[in-house]
This record gives sequence, structure tokens and C-alpha cells, in this order.
Amino acid sequence: MAGATSEVSDVLSGELPAPVEFVVRWFPLVIVALLWELASGWVVAESILPAPSAVFLTLVEMFASGELIAALGISLYRVGIGISLSIAVGVLLGIGIARSESVENFFDIFLALLYPVPKTALVPLAILWLGRGTGTAILIIFLACLLPVVLNSYNAARGVDQNLIWSAQMMGTSDRRILWKVIIPDTIPNIVTGIRQAIPIAFIALTGAELIGASDGVGAIILSAGQLGLYPRMFAAIVAISAAAFFVLRGFDEFERRVFVWV
Amino acid sequence: MGVSVADRSLADTAKDVATSIYSLILVLILWEVVGQLGLIYYNFLPPLSDILVLFWELTLSGQMINETILTIKRAMAGLAIGIVLGVPIGLLTARNRLFNWFWNPVIAIGYPVPIIALIPVFMLWFGIGDISKIILVAVATFWPVTLNTRDATRTVDENLVWSARMMGTSDRKLLWRVILPAAAPGILTGIQIALPIAFIATFIFEMIAGGGGLGHLQILGARQFKSTQVYAAIIAIMIVGLVFDRGLRYFRNWLLSWE
Repeated sequence: MAGATSEVSDVLSGELPAPVEFVVRWFPLVIVALLWELASGWVVAESILPAPSAVFLTLVEMFASGELIAALGISLYRVGIGISLSIAVGVLLGIGIARSESVENFFDIFLALLYPVPKTALVPLAILWLGRGTGTAILIIFLACLLPVVLNSYNAARGVDQNLIWSAQMMGTSDRRILWKVIIPDTIPNIVTGIRQAIPIAFIALTGAELIGASDGVGAIILSAGQLGLYPRMFAAIVAISAAAFFVLRGFDEFERRVFVWV
Repeated sequence: MGVSVADRSLADTAKDVATSIYSLILVLILWEVVGQLGLIYYNFLPPLSDILVLFWELTLSGQMINETILTIKRAMAGLAIGIVLGVPIGLLTARNRLFNWFWNPVIAIGYPVPIIALIPVFMLWFGIGDISKIILVAVATFWPVTLNTRDATRTVDENLVWSARMMGTSDRKLLWRVILPAAAPGILTGIQIALPIAFIATFIFEMIAGGGGLGHLQILGARQFKSTQVYAAIIAIMIVGLVFDRGLRYFRNWLLSWE
């Protein structure tokens, strides 16, 4: 944040009080919103580009009616379960591949094959297996988030100080206890990095899955509103899912900052 | 790993290959057997051979190649626009105060937006044709390219810039000879992040709006319960992903060989 502060005072030269600085820093967004407001109805027809004020009103309405909260609940539930599954499987797989040659020999080829496939493009396959709905969304989010988690825990487990493991073995610690007491704690910072990388990916996967393979959730609202020509509603839902992605990421950063002071 | 290539006998190499792909072969055989015996519902998992036969037929008839080219064209045209816009804006954001002030908050808000959520908007604004798809890919790839270019340019060693200035390097030369090469690794990382996004945006748009391409081929398979077509399309997607991912890595190593 110190860097950002100096950037703003660079423009205006001199130190500014915090609230003024905040306004100056985020003012470009106000300019963008104003241009948008002016463009709507003047440059482009209002039906094509609803004004931010109209979108905001619709957003408030959808919140007040509880509809948006319910849809966000469904979408965030899918993201939560999908990411949790990918963490549970990904951490074990990453550590397993790093520490055991037979696990590596078995799984390496599948990960290499899965890596270049954009997982969100597998939605039709997921529909074939699980039908439209929550199962499909969770499967796609799980697959999309799996590799960043596996790669980061793999790198971390590779980097565990061998001396730590030897000392633990010397003191007669069992292999299972070494895994839980030595390897996993040492890899946590990298795993956290993996999860952070996975969050934006999860929201892309969620959106793709809900646009194509679900009839509820925020993605489904976006598509149906678009098809019905309810454009302020469509834009409001897009704002809602983007805000959700933004705040989940910010929330995770904050959580990381507070919990992992020791790393 | 310490053994040099020349020391390794053919038998050793064969053994290495076998240990690294035996699991794949096992799973593929199991897949074929389970499918042939009808142990699993055909629409979930048709036997591998049926999928390969269809893949081969679609390739021979030219359809698979046409759909693949269609998808690649859209993804690459969009990515090219994303790079052409993103690199200069990222550079200017890192080096120019006014750009920095304007673009930083815009990037902070724009970067996390799942851009594929805008597909229905783009259908409204630009229709369902190629142009609409290409613009969406451009918008989706713009953010990672811009963000990574900005961050890479910010970390360029100021001493390099000062020394070049001291020797009387012009601004234009400074950009092309000093800043761009120093920021190139970060810019390429941004492009590597943008590449799968370009393909995801293309596939999803094709699935929603049609108009041919591998995404459309795959969703049609799912809608018409032609599961072999779904799998055949995924094989093509896998090959495309592999070729472009590897290609970009080689390009990166070639371009950065001076490092």
C-alpha cells in the first residue's frame, strides 16, 4: 500500500490526508461511470447500454427482493465446495507426487494431459455426466482449481528442508506423523498461494458452468435476462458476480494477512 | 538425472517411458473394456475406439479441421488485439503518472471481472458472429496482459534507465532497447496467462451462441446425446491446447535466450 500512496502523491506532489488520497486514487472510476452515464441515451441507445444509475437501481431492487441474495448463495456455495474439494485432493496429490515416486509415476501423465485443456471448456461433458445444475458447476470448478493447488503444494513439498525430515525420523517419528507435523505445516504458505491463484479461476469456471450448464445461480440470471431483453437486470447480475469475485479475493488477502503473520 | 544422455542405453530410456505412461495405458485399456462390456451407460463413457473412429472420420471429412481453424482464428485474433492494446497501456501505466493515476483503479476493478459473464452483453452489442467473439477475447485477454506488463515494467531496474539516459539514449531507443527487453519476461508471463483465457472465452461463446468451432461441436454433441462427438471435440481441444502451450513456451525460451 505504501507504493500506491506514493503514486498518488506523485501526481499531485506533496502528502495528502488519507480521505482525500482515497478519493483522488479512486476518482478515475467516477470518471468512467460518468462517461458511461452520459453515453447511455446520448451516444448509444439506453436499451443497448443502460445507465449505471438504472443498473444500480435494479441491483438494489434485486437485493431487496432477496432474489439476488439467493442466487449469490447458490453460486458461492458452488465455488466454496468446488475449491474445497480441489484443496483436499490437490494438496494430497501434490505432496504425494513430490514425496513418492510410485505416486508420481502414476499421476504425472494425467496431470500433463489435463494441464493444457481449458477446464471450463469441459462443461458439455460434465452436463453429459451429471446433468445441468450444481453437480456440473462443482465438477468444473474442482477441475479448474485442481492444478494450481497441485502445482503449488508439489513445489512446496519438494522444497521441504530434508534436514527437518531426517531429524524427525531420527527421533522416531512415524511417516504419517511426519506428513502431518512436518511436511504439511511447511507447505502451508505455498498452498495458500495456490488457493489464491485458484479463486479467480473458480469464478471464471463458475460463470462458464452457470451460463451453459445451470438454470439457477447468478450466471443463469445473466443469460436468461439477456435472452429476455431485460438488460438492466443482466448488467446488475454481472456487477453482482464481479463484486462477489472482487470481495472474495480481497477477503482472502485480508484473511491471509491476519492468519499467516508467522510466515 | 546426473547421467548424461549418451551414457543411457536404449533399454533405460524405454524403461523410463514405460514407468511414466503405464498408468495411462492401463486406464485407456480399462476404459475400452468397460465400454465394450457395456458396464457403463454408453452416453456417459462410450468405448475409446468408438471415439477415435469418430475423431478420425471427422478429421478425414475435413469438418474437425475446419472447426479447429475457426476456433483458433477467433482466439488468436482476439489475443492479438488484447496484446496490442494491453502492452502499450501497461507500459504507459508503469512509466507515466497520468496513465498510472487513471488505469490503476480501472485495472483493480476490471481484472477480477469474469469477462465471459459479458457474453450475453456482447451478443446484444455486436451480435453472435466472429467480430463479437473476437472482441470478447480481446477484452478478456487485455487485463492479464496489461497487469503483467505494468508490474514487469515497474520492476525494471532504474539504474539501467539512468545509465542509458546518461549515455544519451533517445526516449524511443530507451523503450525498445532497455525497457521492453527488461520487461519481456513479465510480459510473456501475461501472454501465457492470457492464452488459456482466450481459448476459454472462445469455447464458451461458441457453446452459447453457436457459429461453428470446437465449442459448438462439443455442445451439440451433449444436446443431441452424441457422446462420442463430445469426447472427439475434447480430444481436439486437448491437442490445440497442448500445441499452443508448448509453442508459446518454445517462443519464450527462444526470445529470452539472452537471459
